[in-house]
Amino acid sequence: MFEFFFKYPRQVFSQGSFVFLNGWPVWMLWLGVLVAAAGLGYLIWRRSGGANINIVRSVGIWLLQTGLAALLLFMLWHPALSVATLKPQQNIVAVVVDDSSSMAVVDEGSKSRKDRAVEVLNAGLLTKLRDKFQVRVYQMTDHLKKIEKLEELNAQSPATHIGNSLKQVIADASSLPIGAVVVLSDGADNSGGIDLETVDELKRQRIPVHTVGFGREQMQHDLEITNLELPQRALPDSRLSAAVSFHQHGYAGQKAKLTIRDADKVLAAKEVTLKADGVEQLENVLFSSGPAGVRTIQAFMDLLPNEDNKRNNIVTRMVTVDQRKPRILYLEGEPRWEFKFAKRGVEDDKTIDLVTMVRTAPNKLYRQNVKDPHELEDGFPKKVEELFAFDGLMFGSLDAAYLTAPQLQMVKDFVDRRGGGLLFLGGKDSLSDGGWQSTPVNEVMPTVLPNRKDTFHWTPANSRLTPAGADSLIVRLEDDPVKNGKKWQSLPYIRNVQDIGPLKLGAVTLAEAVPMNGGGGAVPLLVTMNYGRGRTAVFATSGSWRWQMLQEVSDKSHEMFYQQLLRWLVSDTPRRVTGSSPKSLLSDESNTKLRADVRDKSYLPAGDAIVEARILGQGVTETLKMNPEPFEQGAFGVEWQAPKAGDYLVEVVAHRGDEELGRDAFTIRREDGMAENFHVEQNRGLLEKLSSETGGMYYKPEDAQKLGEEIKYSPAGITVRESRDLWDMPAIFALFLLLRGAEWLLRRKWGVI
Amino acid sequence: MRLRTVFLLIAVCLTTWGVVQAQKPFQDYSGENTEYARGEIPIPDDYNVPHEFIRARLKYTSVGILHPGNHTGRWGWGTDYPLGDRHFLQGLRRLTLIDARSVEQVVEADGSDDIYNWPFLYGVELGHWNLFQDEADQLREYLDRGGFLMTDDFHGTVEWENFMKSLHKVFSSRPVLDLDNTAEVFHVLYDLKSRVQIPGAQYLYSHIPYEFDGFEPKWRAVFDDHGRMMMAICFNQDISDAIENSDDPRYPAEWSNEAYRISANYATYALTH
Repeated sequence: MFEFFFKYPRQVFSQGSFVFLNGWPVWMLWLGVLVAAAGLGYLIWRRSGGANINIVRSVGIWLLQTGLAALLLFMLWHPALSVATLKPQQNIVAVVVDDSSSMAVVDEGSKSRKDRAVEVLNAGLLTKLRDKFQVRVYQMTDHLKKIEKLEELNAQSPATHIGNSLKQVIADASSLPIGAVVVLSDGADNSGGIDLETVDELKRQRIPVHTVGFGREQMQHDLEITNLELPQRALPDSRLSAAVSFHQHGYAGQKAKLTIRDADKVLAAKEVTLKADGVEQLENVLFSSGPAGVRTIQAFMDLLPNEDNKRNNIVTRMVTVDQRKPRILYLEGEPRWEFKFAKRGVEDDKTIDLVTMVRTAPNKLYRQNVKDPHELEDGFPKKVEELFAFDGLMFGSLDAAYLTAPQLQMVKDFVDRRGGGLLFLGGKDSLSDGGWQSTPVNEVMPTVLPNRKDTFHWTPANSRLTPAGADSLIVRLEDDPVKNGKKWQSLPYIRNVQDIGPLKLGAVTLAEAVPMNGGGGAVPLLVTMNYGRGRTAVFATSGSWRWQMLQEVSDKSHEMFYQQLLRWLVSDTPRRVTGSSPKSLLSDESNTKLRADVRDKSYLPAGDAIVEARILGQGVTETLKMNPEPFEQGAFGVEWQAPKAGDYLVEVVAHRGDEELGRDAFTIRREDGMAENFHVEQNRGLLEKLSSETGGMYYKPEDAQKLGEEIKYSPAGITVRESRDLWDMPAIFALFLLLRGAEWLLRRKWGVI
Repeated sequence: MRLRTVFLLIAVCLTTWGVVQAQKPFQDYSGENTEYARGEIPIPDDYNVPHEFIRARLKYTSVGILHPGNHTGRWGWGTDYPLGDRHFLQGLRRLTLIDARSVEQVVEADGSDDIYNWPFLYGVELGHWNLFQDEADQLREYLDRGGFLMTDDFHGTVEWENFMKSLHKVFSSRPVLDLDNTAEVFHVLYDLKSRVQIPGAQYLYSHIPYEFDGFEPKWRAVFDDHGRMMMAICFNQDISDAIENSDDPRYPAEWSNEAYRISANYATYALTH
């Protein structure tokens, strides 16, 4: 339709620039229009006196006649478009055909996308292109490869990297006159998109990329898992939550089974009700991490009837369950029930070591679970190395004055620098009543502690979860979130609550206390916050022991609560050397960066350490020197490429002189042939954006033959400037008729013909 | 009175009733077949101030007189009540950092949830106790949940046998073990490497430190599956009397001191294990 009215394709207008060919100055055109307008205005004014035309109608007639005069003058000036066109036979057109396995998908009929692409090329497009240009045909996978025959295409490559392929085209363009690029693809890129740098370079070289899109833009019947979020590390036998994202088409309202498994072992399963078509759905499934080791966790959804793509229902992630036993130091200011029952609650948790010190009398400390008789025999640690050997700290009803100023500073550094977890329990000498608001520790607290005493109240209160708590594993006493909320509401009341002040930015209230005597509304009961490299929490009561004593012995709520709280406190506490990689699973890619964070005994960054990464796996044994990261003290990194699919064990070891600062190990898995199973719908948005950004056009397969003619309009390569007349456009003629016809109709209507 | 006010009052009453049902307030049982008459031992002014630790005294049904001609056990659960409790709590406040209430709480295994609010239970003269099975079942549940029972002031073979009769209703298979000097409870606060027999106030008249055939003091206990003491059995001695009479100049101070220390150790143990 556009071409019918405007004579030329859109591209001519988008690529070309507007010119007047008669050589007369443009100001003369404007002058002519003004003179015509003035003259017409005078004539109409002269004649309106005797005719039946008021001022409004006169103006209307004048405008129509002026428009017509302007149009005639415009045509006299000989308007045209100057557009660059590729010089025939002097330019190269790169035809890039996507040969990844997603192109093997059969969307409609019996032809795969690859076959459709070949069909489009053989139907005349390739011939037309070859008539005018030198054509190079490329096979696009995760890189670009020139091919001589289309029969070399097999749609078996495990990955598509459009960006990488275009980069190669750009590299070729520096020595060859590439006039345009034609990409035949479904747009299912596995590299996360095309980087801006590549697009900018294409624009800079003015190479248009025309795209021909294949495949359905939307599956009719398909359920696809889009993401699985899991922590990369966990403590043994801890509760983990797998956050599984998925969407579907064609099965809205139906039920599907979501399973979490470790190899062949089913860890958890859940039946979900599918939301509306295309809506991203998130489900959380709880499961146990199991004993120490590397876990290959899969999220799997049962195939539904007649699914178009049966290969996108399973996603894998790696979780390293650390063989370590974090140690928590709990300093209690007085023997009390909360201490007893908190300690009992975690006694059966073999993954945590709770070392306790209780002030039994003014000058007496009772130590329990110390590793030898000398540990902590002088009381609370006075040296950084001694305190930082722990992963977590707990304080009960303890006045801050019990610790010295350097010790208080150490407690603050324990969170900030060491990355440890700090938990305060409520009590008559705790928090504000213990003067903690006036210490350096106040900075890491999750709330703004009131600056007064009498914050500890013997007010019985019921507990309930907040919306944030409903999602938190710390307070998950029942797997089902609804049952969990009810469970919390049914817990025996706590005997007291402490006022801990308003929350700081970044703090989260997981549970609230609701006073039973009607005195005031809900107040924060359990608050958590990340601070620096660590985390802090306040449990504003000393009365949760009633959850144990006032429920049957078979009820493990109190134990579960403290176990989960303390695991949260220490599970992310870093070691002196922590190794990591941005991805534990490389899916159809081989490159990743190995990182190490290295600290000395005082947990200060050890930027002068010598750090190595030792990699073992798939017959590979290599040692790489890790280099200090700029602007990140104590951080080291090295790029690494997994040579083939399989598991690799990476151990990072740090030394300073003869002293080993520490070591850490983690696993990376490379998996091939998976990426192409996902997002197999045509990514039309990507293809359209690529073409529009570079000055090209997007075509459907049935329109692709037009490309043979339209491709010549390109500013790249060897071009010649051509002009295209506009005066004889049907649109101009139509405008002429419109103006004239409108005046005639109006005159007829007003009776002035 | 407006309807809304009526409903509000009802709600408050019900709430209070609910709270009361779960945890009963302090009540003075003096004069109800206890050692001291009503008003004889004044109630401290701060009796109603909440604290972390409250010692609960177990109220039970007594078998009556076990020793014909001897009035031992005549007050049953009310022996030394309430002076023994009050002195003990004062001592605890003086000697430790335990935040103790100034008055005791009398509780019974009556099938309500009240007993579970008081994790430290003291039972005196349990040589005369007679537990019904439902009481024994509740006591077992109490101890399994984490409660602690300290028993004291029963002597000789006859009383031991009666004690064990009811104890077997509570624990049919858990053994009663003797504690030696290495037991944790003897070192948790004070180091009590050597302990002597602490006689009751009867010593002031008899000058005999033992009662009946209870010649040797026995320190025994019942442990849970984790090796934690849940029942302390102080047999052939009268710690409660020693504390009760600690302000009597006739009663030997060294025994009172030892009694306070032993009791403080047991309380500290209960609060830390």
